[in-house]
Amino acid sequence: MNLAFAVVVGALFGSGVYLLLKPDLFRVVAGLVLVSNAANLTLMASGLTRGQAPVQPTQPGAAVADPLVQAMTLTALVIGFAVTALLLGLSVGVYRARHSVDLDEISRQQAADAVLREGREAPHDEEHELREAHEEAIAYDEATR
Amino acid sequence: MALAAFVAGWLTGGGGIDLAWAPTWDLRLAFELDGLAALYGILAAGIGVLVFVYASAYVPRHLAHQGRPRREEARLHAAMVLFLISMLGLTTAQDLILLFVFWDLTAVASWLLIGFDRHDREARLSALMALMVTAVSAVLMLVGILMLRVEYATTQLPELFAVARQSTTVTVAVALIVVAALAKSAQVPFHFWLPRAMAAPTPVSAYLHSAAMVAAGVFLLSRIHPLIALDGALLDALVVVGFASMAVGGVLALAADGLKRLLAYSTISQYGYVVTMLGVGGTAGAAAACFYVLAHALAKSALFMTAGAVTEATGATALSGLGGLGRRMPLLAAASGAAVAAIAALPLTIGFFKDELFFKAALEHGSLTAALAVAGAALTFAYMARFWSGIFLGSPRDAPQPIERRLVWPVALLALAAVGGGIVVAPFAALAQDAAAVTSGAAVKLEAAYHLDARSENLMALAAYALGAFVLVVRGVLSKPLAIVEWVGTHFGPERAYSASLRGLNRLSNQLHDIEVRDLRTRVAAVIVPGAALVAVGVVLTPTEGAYRVGQIVAADTPLVAALAVCALAAVAVTAPRNHLALALMLSAVGFALATAYSLLGAPDVALVAVLIETIFALLFVGVFALLPADVLRREARLRPHRSRQVRDAGIAIVSGVVTTLVVWAAFSRPVPSAGMAERHLTLAEDAHGKDVVTVILADFRGLDTLVEITVVGVAMIGVTALLASRRRV
Repeated sequence: MNLAFAVVVGALFGSGVYLLLKPDLFRVVAGLVLVSNAANLTLMASGLTRGQAPVQPTQPGAAVADPLVQAMTLTALVIGFAVTALLLGLSVGVYRARHSVDLDEISRQQAADAVLREGREAPHDEEHELREAHEEAIAYDEATR
Repeated sequence: MALAAFVAGWLTGGGGIDLAWAPTWDLRLAFELDGLAALYGILAAGIGVLVFVYASAYVPRHLAHQGRPRREEARLHAAMVLFLISMLGLTTAQDLILLFVFWDLTAVASWLLIGFDRHDREARLSALMALMVTAVSAVLMLVGILMLRVEYATTQLPELFAVARQSTTVTVAVALIVVAALAKSAQVPFHFWLPRAMAAPTPVSAYLHSAAMVAAGVFLLSRIHPLIALDGALLDALVVVGFASMAVGGVLALAADGLKRLLAYSTISQYGYVVTMLGVGGTAGAAAACFYVLAHALAKSALFMTAGAVTEATGATALSGLGGLGRRMPLLAAASGAAVAAIAALPLTIGFFKDELFFKAALEHGSLTAALAVAGAALTFAYMARFWSGIFLGSPRDAPQPIERRLVWPVALLALAAVGGGIVVAPFAALAQDAAAVTSGAAVKLEAAYHLDARSENLMALAAYALGAFVLVVRGVLSKPLAIVEWVGTHFGPERAYSASLRGLNRLSNQLHDIEVRDLRTRVAAVIVPGAALVAVGVVLTPTEGAYRVGQIVAADTPLVAALAVCALAAVAVTAPRNHLALALMLSAVGFALATAYSLLGAPDVALVAVLIETIFALLFVGVFALLPADVLRREARLRPHRSRQVRDAGIAIVSGVVTTLVVWAAFSRPVPSAGMAERHLTLAEDAHGKDVVTVILADFRGLDTLVEITVVGVAMIGVTALLASRRRV
């Protein structure tokens, strides 16, 4: 049974990662849903006992399922739901802002915007600034000697 | 107030506080006012008082020169108080972890203080340099502390002293701490940050760079001296570093022109003396080191304040722009003359005894040490004489501006203390003697007195004066080689390595940043790929014996296995469809299959919630799709990604799926045995007047968690509503 759970968790997680790497925003969201499903199943399967539902009155003699992991899974489920709903809302927001739900297309748009902006202001280069500062400091030393 | 407390505490024999801090880690807030704490604490608090008086006159002028508002003064004072408090905590801490906390606090406070002129980039870079050098080396110190902790299961210093024995681990750990101490005391090769830190306002330099910040390094060496003394190699290394710092600091001080730069190099060289003496070790070395710190701090802060006062009066910051001030500012000239004499170790000042003890310790160590000690003292004599004569002797220049008396009399008080110590040395000697007893871990008899005979210490002092005078006379000839030495130091010295490494790190970070943030996919990959690699390494390195157990499947599990199989198949199937609606439906299939599995696992509550959520998900996805124009989705569905990219994505997905399987399998294979765990929960639930254990756990045992969870859901829903409701186009 351990192996069966592990394989299913692996399948959920692998499919989730595959979707996460897609450029389509909705597939990314679906990927996250699958990954959180994988996490939920892991939680549930890590229960130390399996058996009847932990609800009173229980049948005497039969094993009772571990209630702690169930509580944890419930919390995770609900939070996962809230996050996914928010992500879907954000996807709609992205569409409204960019008229696209394709990440590749959006990055292309952004790159084009950046090129437009660079025409107006020089790019910010920290490394260049640091080197300049060092040279200035040396010049300052030589001047104050 | 703190000064009074420390003086009173020292006179009454000290005391300690010992409170539990983090008992599970066996950390205690252990403070003890012993001799060493008293010495450094009185120095930090006493000179601190004078510096505050001085700053109250200096800082308003400083701000006025730069056209900044008066209220910024408060920022400086706040940082100084923070510094003072952390310094006092540092000196009294008896737990290495606690000591480390205060150590870093002093670094942070000094960063604020050095970078006080925040509009000035030079000041900001200098502050950063001081912080980087001292805080990065402090990480080494933390590593050393933790190594000691692993070895002896304690970070309490008294316990460590009792149990520590010489071993390679201890030597490496102590060496790491020593490196941090040397960096803090600006010893070679970490000396470069101190001259730069002169960008700080003068009161800060007078405080941090004479009595406090740099003194913290040698303080730490004194504090852990019993551990250092376990290994002779460490002591020898200290002697070498000390002499190297004396040489480098002394030579550069001889070449320097800027007043504060000269003093900074002098500080490097003077703490080189102290490090040397700590390396010499034994009671003589400890006594000499502690007395040296005391005498030097008094005189050096007076000299920094002199430099500030002179600059305020004349506007000149370098020796080449000064001269002949002696007649115009007689009090300042006399006071700083006394301080200079103290550092140059002339008789009738406290400084004479510091060199007497120094020579005595050096003689005990060997003739080479003694010879080098004389050479170092000669250098000190030469650059100190140069400093004073350059300002106060020679042809007068323009008349100085009048300055506040508060800029002069702290110097005079310190000079008085330096001269007083040269006449009545007993109280100073007693303070240093107590500190030395803590340093060397044995009773120390510190004898400081004038002897009018031809003993070796006196002869060495005379030799140092003569040699120093000679160096001063031939300085004109030396100026060219000195300039070359300084140029080589600036261009090929450790400072170069510092800026190169900083630039390199910056470039590396930029490159990583460029790779990581190109788009969402690279970000996800940047998290998943290294994470998976680390996990895979863990999986490979874990012993496999008994790690993976298949577990048995009984007949009753058949429905569960079937549900799980459906779930796995559906999960893989989600990746296939191009159509968005089909995608959403497959996703629901996964969810419902999982809900079935939950219900078969004996979790009706989870199954119920899962069904509800999956239903809402399906509606939500479909609803969102309905919000978007059909052609956008259709275009997206028709898009065919590049073949190589699809193969790469599939590869990543398969690898991560397999690694996850292995990890989860390994985790499932090692359940902690827990007989009757569920039954215990059942009883607890009954006590809580509930029948459904899961509900009781959520609403009662972990009620606060659930409350926070509800808040999260609420916030998310508000976000969704706002996002969907806004018709505004950005």
